Amino acid sequence: MALSRRLLPLLRRGGCLSASASPARALSMAAVPADADQEEAVTVKGVRISGRPLYMDMQATTPVDPRVLDAMLPFYLSRYGNPHSRTHLYGWESDAAVEEARARVASLVGADPREIFFTSGATECNNIAVKGVMRFYRDRRRHVITTQTEHKCVLDSCRYLQQEGFEVTYLPVRPDGLVDVAQLADAIRPDTGLVSVMAVNNEIGVVQPLEEIGRICREKGVPFHTDAAQALGKIPIDVNQMGIGLMSLSAHKIYGPKGVGALYLRRRPRIRVEPQMSGGGQERGIRSGTVPTPLVVGFGAACEIAAKEMDYDHRRATTLQKRLLDGIRGQVDDVVINGSMEHRYPGNLNLSFAYVEGESLLMGLKEVAVSSGSACTSASLEPSYVLRALGVEEDMAHTSIRFGIGRFTTEEEVDRATELTVHQVKKLRDMSPLYEMAKAGIDIKSIQWAQH
Amino acid sequence: MAAAAPTRAEVMSLFRSLLRTARQFSDYNIREYTCRRAADAFRENRALGDVPAAAAAFAYGKKQLEVAKRQAVVYSLYAPKAKSIMEMKMQ
Repeated sequence: MALSRRLLPLLRRGGCLSASASPARALSMAAVPADADQEEAVTVKGVRISGRPLYMDMQATTPVDPRVLDAMLPFYLSRYGNPHSRTHLYGWESDAAVEEARARVASLVGADPREIFFTSGATECNNIAVKGVMRFYRDRRRHVITTQTEHKCVLDSCRYLQQEGFEVTYLPVRPDGLVDVAQLADAIRPDTGLVSVMAVNNEIGVVQPLEEIGRICREKGVPFHTDAAQALGKIPIDVNQMGIGLMSLSAHKIYGPKGVGALYLRRRPRIRVEPQMSGGGQERGIRSGTVPTPLVVGFGAACEIAAKEMDYDHRRATTLQKRLLDGIRGQVDDVVINGSMEHRYPGNLNLSFAYVEGESLLMGLKEVAVSSGSACTSASLEPSYVLRALGVEEDMAHTSIRFGIGRFTTEEEVDRATELTVHQVKKLRDMSPLYEMAKAGIDIKSIQWAQH
Repeated sequence: MAAAAPTRAEVMSLFRSLLRTARQFSDYNIREYTCRRAADAFRENRALGDVPAAAAAFAYGKKQLEVAKRQAVVYSLYAPKAKSIMEMKMQ
């Protein structure tokens, strides 16, 4: 069906028309001039920036999609019933909405709706999965296998189990971030109760070989848990194809609301967990507590949108990541990508800039909202344990920056982020005596620093 | 009874409405996304010859327009005072 000639140039350009200013400016591509500059400047923590920074921290959280918000609002306004109220319309309609959302979440991962249990987020899911499974089978299963690059909540739960007397194997990863599947198979013992490997790493974006791991776990009869918070809606997940027994899902990483997640728990063969929340037995006794209808509806809507948009978003993220990487590498050298490039979710790019100090790089990038390799995990300046597990040197781990590209990221934002990063890196390298020495051919590692 | 395929005029009118609504979003990222996604979706579905598929795509588009109209209002009610850096003059 052909479209009007007037609109074709717009289609070809693929760009958008400018802001909500006067109609006369309708077809202009230039940004709206900020005449009230001074009033609109934002001053936070002593730093003054002219506007809200461009957001490139999608792994930390994502903006709520307007379609998700649209689905949620009626449940804050008129349909505010408790889904567990059985005696009136408010409860019935709320319950119907929750069940519809459950079906949507289930369909995105190839599961049955009865296998989905809503929780407060992926952290709670990880707690239920790790602690709940091991405690349920505590008589026969005493061993857990996980990796060194797991999210803090999994590692912390494992440490908690160790205090209770269980044994935990923390598998190392290769320098590209992938776990060695043969090593994992060797580590499985007769009393192994759980293997937990995250699907997509939040810091480096590496995608683990889920099918292989699932196959091995199925052969050996060990439940396979994966933290799929960063993977949901971004890479195709099929719990049956991948042999997944338990899975943690989070809403706020796929343009849904914060405060809700879901645990996938396999029914055939049935995997049992000991509930971590005692109460009225909601969610089939797995997780007591009123199910938050608006949040759950938002999660369902986000999953439905993700199912439709996965291919489009993935293609776009790949294009934008290439644009960002080529843009930065074309202008500065000694840039290292942390983690495998082949097995990667394109929306996550973790770069280390040699001879640049990380904190000062971040201070200079105040107009771009990005995260560094160390900030994620602790308030201290300790370098990220994920990068350390990759074998990244401490100085390189300190200078790592994680760029997150998402559904709403534009080409202009990527270009601006490139420009700002390159500018800051060059500025810092100009000031850096280490860089001068490296350029002169001196091997930094061979220097004997004098002690005063 | 199956829905009839939309006419060319109807499709163009829907596309124009979507772009017009997109322009009303106060948020830079949502505005750009709505425009771009609409343009890409219409371009992709341009070749849909299959009548039920075309009718379904058109109905979907109309629903998205309703959502966009409502959300443009909601976003403008809570628009932050400071605009995105992307909308400011180049420093």
